[in-house]
Amino acid sequence: MSLAVRFFRRYVQRNLPQYALGFAMLVATNYAVVRIPTLIGAALDALGGTEAAALATGQAIALELMAWAVAVVFVRTLSRVLFFNPGREVEYRLGVDLFSHLLALQRPFFLRRKVGELVSMATNDTMSVRLLIGFAGLQVCNVAVAIPLHLWQMLRTDAWLTLWCLGPIVVGGAYTISIVRRFYAMIRVSLEELGKLSDRVLESYAGIGTVRAHAAEPAILARFEERNQAYLDLQLRLSSIRAFSMPVLWLSGLVGNALVLWIGGDQAIAGELSPGSLMTFMGLLTSLVALLMAVAWVLASVSRGIVAIRRIDEVITTPDELPVPTGTITIEAPPTLELRDLSFTYPGADAPALQGISARLAPGATLGIFGRTGAGKSTLIHLLSRVYTPPPGTVLVAGRDVTTLPLEQVRAGLAVVPQDPFLFSTTLRDNIRLRGEKTGHVRGEDGEREPSGRGRPQALAEEPDPRLDRVLRAACLVDDIKSLPEGLDTVVGERGVMLSGGQRQRTALARALYRGPGLLLLDDVLSAVDQGTEVKLVAAIRGLHDDAGGLMSAPPTTVIVSHRTSVLEHADEILVLEGGKVVERGTHAQLIARGGHYAETHRHQEAARG
Amino acid sequence: MADPKTTGPKGQAGKPQGSTWAALRRFWPWARPYWKWLAVGAVMIPIVAAVSALRPLLIKHAIDVDIAGKDVVSLRLTALLFMVAVMAEFFASAAQVYALQRAGHATISDLRRSVFRHVLTMPARFFDKTPIGSLLSRSTSDVEALSETLSFGVFTILTDVAVIVSIVAAMAVLDWRMTLVSLAVGPVLAITVRTFGARLRALQLEIRRAQAVQSGYLAEQLAGVTVVQLFGREKAVVREYERLGDRFLRAVKTANWYDAGLYSIMDGIAALCIALLIYFAAPYLFEDASRSGVTLGLLFAFIDYLQRVFVPIREFSGKLATIQRAVASLERIYGLIDEPAEGRSGPGAKDPLQGWTGGVQVRGLRFAYREGANEVLKGIDFDIAPGEVVAVVGRTGSGKTSLGRVLTRTYDGYQGSVALTTPGGPVEVAAVTPDALRAHVLMVQQDVFLFNDDVAFNVSLGEPGLAGDPARIEAALRTVQAWDCVQERGGLGFNIGERGRNLSAGEAQLIAFARVAARQPTLLILDEATASVDSMTEHKVQTAIETLLRGRSVLVIAHRLSTIRRADKILVMQDGTIVEQGPHEALLARGGVYAELYRMGFKEDEAGAADGPGRGNSRGGSAVAPA
Repeated sequence: MSLAVRFFRRYVQRNLPQYALGFAMLVATNYAVVRIPTLIGAALDALGGTEAAALATGQAIALELMAWAVAVVFVRTLSRVLFFNPGREVEYRLGVDLFSHLLALQRPFFLRRKVGELVSMATNDTMSVRLLIGFAGLQVCNVAVAIPLHLWQMLRTDAWLTLWCLGPIVVGGAYTISIVRRFYAMIRVSLEELGKLSDRVLESYAGIGTVRAHAAEPAILARFEERNQAYLDLQLRLSSIRAFSMPVLWLSGLVGNALVLWIGGDQAIAGELSPGSLMTFMGLLTSLVALLMAVAWVLASVSRGIVAIRRIDEVITTPDELPVPTGTITIEAPPTLELRDLSFTYPGADAPALQGISARLAPGATLGIFGRTGAGKSTLIHLLSRVYTPPPGTVLVAGRDVTTLPLEQVRAGLAVVPQDPFLFSTTLRDNIRLRGEKTGHVRGEDGEREPSGRGRPQALAEEPDPRLDRVLRAACLVDDIKSLPEGLDTVVGERGVMLSGGQRQRTALARALYRGPGLLLLDDVLSAVDQGTEVKLVAAIRGLHDDAGGLMSAPPTTVIVSHRTSVLEHADEILVLEGGKVVERGTHAQLIARGGHYAETHRHQEAARG
Repeated sequence: MADPKTTGPKGQAGKPQGSTWAALRRFWPWARPYWKWLAVGAVMIPIVAAVSALRPLLIKHAIDVDIAGKDVVSLRLTALLFMVAVMAEFFASAAQVYALQRAGHATISDLRRSVFRHVLTMPARFFDKTPIGSLLSRSTSDVEALSETLSFGVFTILTDVAVIVSIVAAMAVLDWRMTLVSLAVGPVLAITVRTFGARLRALQLEIRRAQAVQSGYLAEQLAGVTVVQLFGREKAVVREYERLGDRFLRAVKTANWYDAGLYSIMDGIAALCIALLIYFAAPYLFEDASRSGVTLGLLFAFIDYLQRVFVPIREFSGKLATIQRAVASLERIYGLIDEPAEGRSGPGAKDPLQGWTGGVQVRGLRFAYREGANEVLKGIDFDIAPGEVVAVVGRTGSGKTSLGRVLTRTYDGYQGSVALTTPGGPVEVAAVTPDALRAHVLMVQQDVFLFNDDVAFNVSLGEPGLAGDPARIEAALRTVQAWDCVQERGGLGFNIGERGRNLSAGEAQLIAFARVAARQPTLLILDEATASVDSMTEHKVQTAIETLLRGRSVLVIAHRLSTIRRADKILVMQDGTIVEQGPHEALLARGGVYAELYRMGFKEDEAGAADGPGRGNSRGGSAVAPA
């Protein structure tokens, strides 16, 4: 119950005046809707008479009818708009709140939920909520007002006849309610089947290279056909319900009309009922049935809407699982970095990913992390960048425990270059600078060019950005940019030019450097880069403060992760990790001298290079 | 495999091909197999229309004759007939809906299959220029959009038109003057509907665009949420989302006004017409019935007709709009189907490469990815002897990946000669259909694509003869050192997960090798992966490669020294030509390009933008995994 109250207060309450006015319009509309058949009947009765004034009366009623007809147009328009527009507002607000909250949630949450699900929530579920309070809301209110009005007018005219013709409608209604539930359950299943079919299609297209190379098209087609056929079977079962069961309510209305003719006709002959009233009755009955049919559709929207609200609420109220900060920090100069007996186990894992890691790094120094896949290297980067929260007192930046500091402040002073960089569908320039992002949807759904939200990128005059130029040089991207069709303004990412693995890594490096961080974390960033470039990049990272004008006043405190010894050669200290523990430590020279695992791998890698 | 429906007139992809009618006519071959159901649907149209027009006549009869004449028996009869008419309309309508649904869904299912099958045979160039999202939406959403609309829309529109026509005809027959009066508002209505409709359509287009942009933005920011968070971009990103949503919201609210207005007008028009009718017909009621012909019953009948003629009219424009949208989807689908497919040999065709032992002769090979683009191969000459292992090395952009693509006809349109030396003489690659070629030439790419299915399928890929033979699959896995890691996970039935999630990168490589081992191609083109894997798996991978190199001709785009050393011959490529050729020691001694590459460790950026279009990473590097 409290969910409904919370939802109401946060989203619906501000629209209450609109809803109130809308409801008033709705009452007016329904009053008019009932008045019209009544007036028609009255006009017919007047014209059926023989008094001298009958013609005048009849025509006067006709004029009144015209006025009501015009009035209906206005009040009905208003009632619909006043119900639907707030619904859209709520949809918008809900989407923004959901998105905002999602961005505050951390990695553990995103491992539990697929991105596709979340996008569907922000688009489809918010739409269901909108349909619930907009469309369904309107229909429910409409019916709640209309049915009493209709019944009142019918009972007033002839109570007995009313009861008779309601009979078939009640039967039809009960039948429809029982059918509707089953119908919508089947629709849900068919939507799932459609989803599975889509998945298959997507997978087949994504793997088309493999399919083609192995001439596997017939097999893939057969796999597709399984799902296609299953979906078809479901649709055919739905068809018979659609054809025979759904119109039953409509049929019952017409049966009611037949009864009006039979019984009402009798009464008309007996002089107890006027012919005009017969007309009124039939009109009201038809109108009533139409209303009831609308309700059947509404039931589905209501249940879907409620499910959607629950789902959205679950996400919005998910706690961010972050520790409460007790202090503040601004990282301006490169800080010291200290790891104190850092141990960490991933939630739900049996074994710790890291055990007892300790290290101390002076400002501007470089720490190398070496180890095989799965040794825990990336985990360390995650903890340092607080993608996962380290245990208290284990990670200290500038002497302060990071878990006591606000997350944004810690992150503001650092930059991470991940192993697998993500590029946005925007220009290369904006991918590096990460500000003033054009939405980047320059390619529309059909692969055609559409103007992005603020006009085509080239139309905007770009101010020269010396910082960007320096960063591009340091990240060895200058030649690559020359080979791109529109240079820095080329749109990259999913909808643009696909960059090579090495180019993406260097772009991510440029992105990090552009930020000018005090703490720089590099996670195996040079794996896809050739040796020559690797040497240049390592030098660039080290020599940042040598650059004329300087990207930063001092080189950042750096943590480099790699499984290549050549990358770690110049680190001030190297930690060799295995199974999450430090098994060797020292400078490159010291480790070579020790002759342990590091030294052996170094020999191997040197030999492989010839 | 050729589907006659998809080798229709080749229109220019994407451009509207003429009228709605032309689009619908082209749709007919898919619907034709179900013509019997369509016939049922069609037959019901006049029945429904006739019965619709009949009911008010019965009411007229009841008023004028039965009630006026106080004839109870006649009244009962009339009421009974009314009941019969009602039941008839119900069953006719239900039969129509059922028949059309059956025909419609079956047709759509066939269309979906046609589209999918066609896309599967599209050449690589097509996939390069078409975003996968667009393909997916044409194959699924566009087809779905057709489903309801075509199976319902076209026929129910015809029914509606028939009903409207029969009602108006009945009215006109009864009294043409009253008919004119009743429908006097017609022109005004038409203009109003047109204006509102046009405005609404423009708004809806804007709405659809705004919505696509907004949800695309959302999807991308969520996919890259780690970057957004690490770079402190949360607030900026939400602001942008709000801005996009705002645009959408404003358009939608405006549309709501027009929509509500249109709906209400159509709703109120019936009452207005009735009022007009009553007003103008009233005087005639008081004249002598035999002269004016206007009776109370006639008025009743007209009112009933009017109440029922506007419902289909109101829905007509809506249904028409839905049909137009469906036709738009159809056009997009046709655009896709009209794209020329790769050739395929017919069933039972003779194998042109029978007895081929893997010899290849390349002379003067020139190739560019696109018309007028720079050539990536500028005159290549080399031979591969049967059973020879030829390694190709070179920097990014040298053209090495393109060699494999030309040899497998992944990309067509080369100049020069690429001949396979068969016992029956040299056979030009361009003269062999792609599927016949790929039965003998297998290319293994850098990025392994794995299906969300079990290990057995991922190795066999459904190939007849292989799929039903677990022993062969297991043998293939053993050959490439992959059996252990499969067995400890439960054997052939182990599900690999979406895109091979449950396997490591190295293990995925081994599965790709197992595919080769299972198929024993005559010529293997191996594009070695460059990403490093841990040393234990690396050892397995190297051993597996060793095994695969034996017993066939191999063209390997090499990055590992061990592989290169193993080769019988090394081709060194630079800028689209072969600059050096020979065995390892000789090339090293020359101190040229090869020696330089050797020093650099043969590692380089993965083939990407510089060496022609590529599909990017399917495992790592995908933009849809949270980064």
